[in-house]
Amino acid sequence: MKHKALLTALVTTMVAGACSVGDQQTAQSGGGGKKEISFLVFETPNMTPQVWDAAIKRVTDKYPDITVKKLVAPTEDRVSYAKQLLASGQFPDVMIAVSPAGFAESGAMAAFTPDELKDFDFPNNGAVQGKIYQLPTNTQTIPVVYYNKDLFAKAGITAPPKTYAELLDDSAKLKAKGITPFVIGGGKDPFASTLPWTATIATDVYAKTPDWMAKRRAGTVKFTDPDFKKATEKFAELAKQAYIDKKDVSRDYAATEQAFLDGKGAMYPMGNWFAAAGDDPKRKPSWEIGAFNWPTDDGSVVVPAFTGGGLSVSATAKNLPEAKKFALAYTLDKTNLDASVHNDGLYPAVKGYTPPADTGAVFKLGYDLYQEGVKSNTVTQAFSWEAGDDGMLPGVVDKWRAGAQDLITGNKTVDQVLASLDDEWAKAS
Amino acid sequence: MAVDVRTTSVPASATPGSRRPRLPRAERLRQFALFGAPGLLVYTCFVLAPIAISFGYSLTNHNPFNPPTRFVGLDNYRLLFTDSEFLTSLRVTTILTVIVVIVPNVAGLGIAVLLDRKGWLYNALRTVFFTPMVLSSVVVSVVWTRMLDDEGLVNQTLRALGVEQPPGWLSDPRLALYSIAIILSWQMLGFCVVVYLAGLQGVPNELAEAASIDGAGPVRRFRSITWPLLAPSLTINTVVLLITAFKVFDHIQVITHGGPGTGTTATIAYDVLQTGLVANRQGYASAMAIVMLVIIAAAAGVTLKVLNRREVNL
Repeated sequence: MKHKALLTALVTTMVAGACSVGDQQTAQSGGGGKKEISFLVFETPNMTPQVWDAAIKRVTDKYPDITVKKLVAPTEDRVSYAKQLLASGQFPDVMIAVSPAGFAESGAMAAFTPDELKDFDFPNNGAVQGKIYQLPTNTQTIPVVYYNKDLFAKAGITAPPKTYAELLDDSAKLKAKGITPFVIGGGKDPFASTLPWTATIATDVYAKTPDWMAKRRAGTVKFTDPDFKKATEKFAELAKQAYIDKKDVSRDYAATEQAFLDGKGAMYPMGNWFAAAGDDPKRKPSWEIGAFNWPTDDGSVVVPAFTGGGLSVSATAKNLPEAKKFALAYTLDKTNLDASVHNDGLYPAVKGYTPPADTGAVFKLGYDLYQEGVKSNTVTQAFSWEAGDDGMLPGVVDKWRAGAQDLITGNKTVDQVLASLDDEWAKAS
Repeated sequence: MAVDVRTTSVPASATPGSRRPRLPRAERLRQFALFGAPGLLVYTCFVLAPIAISFGYSLTNHNPFNPPTRFVGLDNYRLLFTDSEFLTSLRVTTILTVIVVIVPNVAGLGIAVLLDRKGWLYNALRTVFFTPMVLSSVVVSVVWTRMLDDEGLVNQTLRALGVEQPPGWLSDPRLALYSIAIILSWQMLGFCVVVYLAGLQGVPNELAEAASIDGAGPVRRFRSITWPLLAPSLTINTVVLLITAFKVFDHIQVITHGGPGTGTTATIAYDVLQTGLVANRQGYASAMAIVMLVIIAAAAGVTLKVLNRREVNL
């Protein structure tokens, strides 16, 4: 029968499709006869196509011999996308904010020379086996706790908490007034579920053991060790006390940011890039935004931060010198640095750079809090954001993020989550 | 009145059933190769070769970031069946598939019976029901994510109806998988409706009329005439739904990222990509893909065999 033949063809094609993977890209090509490089970027509510195009144009105006083919990662997970591109022989020549872990060791990325790194404040940050594969362009504090001053006032809170006990007291007061203390997210952006946990790990693990990740790589510490467990219990307790609404784990990052701006919760632990939205005249809320560093038990200052996030270059770029030239020019261009401050709230880690005077109030709040950490020499790693030799093994970050959601939803206990992380680490080793 | 009946002779070569002179075997083979080669080449390059390459990788510990690659024989396959993560994704995929095979089939049949009438309204409704099918799964996923959010349309409606604590459709680990199954079912519903409508229009009216004359009511007519004749439609719908549900990835990626929590909505296809492209264990991920291929092929084959037996030829 005819339909059987059709059905057989349909079934065969669909079954075979089970083994194939697709990808997509958006291209913007330049003219012929010039040195073309491909550049992988990602889009967020802050980093719009217009922002990227303008930043690229500033460099290509300076170097007219270079044309740029822009590739856009289909989600914010540009690292996985870069891996897909590498696996399919389409690794971009230049990419931004792609952790070099794995790429560098396998020889896919080109190392920068000390001379190329001479303009950076922290030229050795994110080293992989002693070499730098990602320009240490900017510092991000992850998280800063942004808060809604109106909701704090409604709950009778007059000043941000200085100690962890005060944070819990304030959360209880907010909850008693029917206000959700913490705004978190999740859904397709599971990192948005984890920020309070990154904070407790900074105050309770990294503050005591700055090289904790190196020790985990060496196998001398484990996730189930007491300090890490204490940090995890603090995070789990926030969810248990309903200071974190477990329904929020299905809300993606963009909607989470908007939820805080819409006054759906009092505190928003997030990377300092939130300043771009908080200072945006179109999105700025009617109430005043405050900020504080996640408090420690004794009230001392600890600031979790990550320096890196810049551009990397493929070792096999067809036009390698131009790719490096583009990466450095893009990074060191004053207007681009100012734009990264305005559009993504970043703190450029470039020698002699000072943020422009017209930065917004929310940016200044975060920047001042970071400076407190710099002055007291208490800037730590931001857990799960570390790069290179200081980063987690491939695949473990995702398991850790899933573990955060397990704790928030009560799907697993602290012991179960930590034990499974040690298992995942063993698998990835 | 006399009728003049004339007959004309028809050349032997034109009589029904006659054949053109048979071409020599070599020539037939040449023509077969000529016409078949392009299709075979495309199929080999884009279907068979990737499967063969995947199978080759599945016998290694291939990790592009951790060379060298070693041949490990069937170790990856042995490991798979003791891997709790893979077994969880197999369970998740099976639940999802069962729901997605049943719900659109049942609902699609009901809607097709209701729409099997003439008139502009029914034509418009057919279009309405088919629309989700032509939408991108990413668009569908984003729309449903917004609708099922705690502040979304569904929970707002429930609150308006007096439900104080509406469910966390996508945030509750016990519900998220079923929510995704319903979203996928909704998207596939239009396909089932169209296939069943085509089947219904192929049911001869004479049979139903004859049964009516013999005193058969609507239920009996449906059970004894329509339903058996819809067997080919059921076969198509079931097999297509089975394959679609078994390899679903995009809805999971966009809506839940495999969560909330560890693996609560992670299907095998999702797990393959996570293992291969996030954890970089591409040899192991290839073994997962091959097992998935075998399961789908076996399930589709058995389903076809069973359902084909029900089919009747008019």
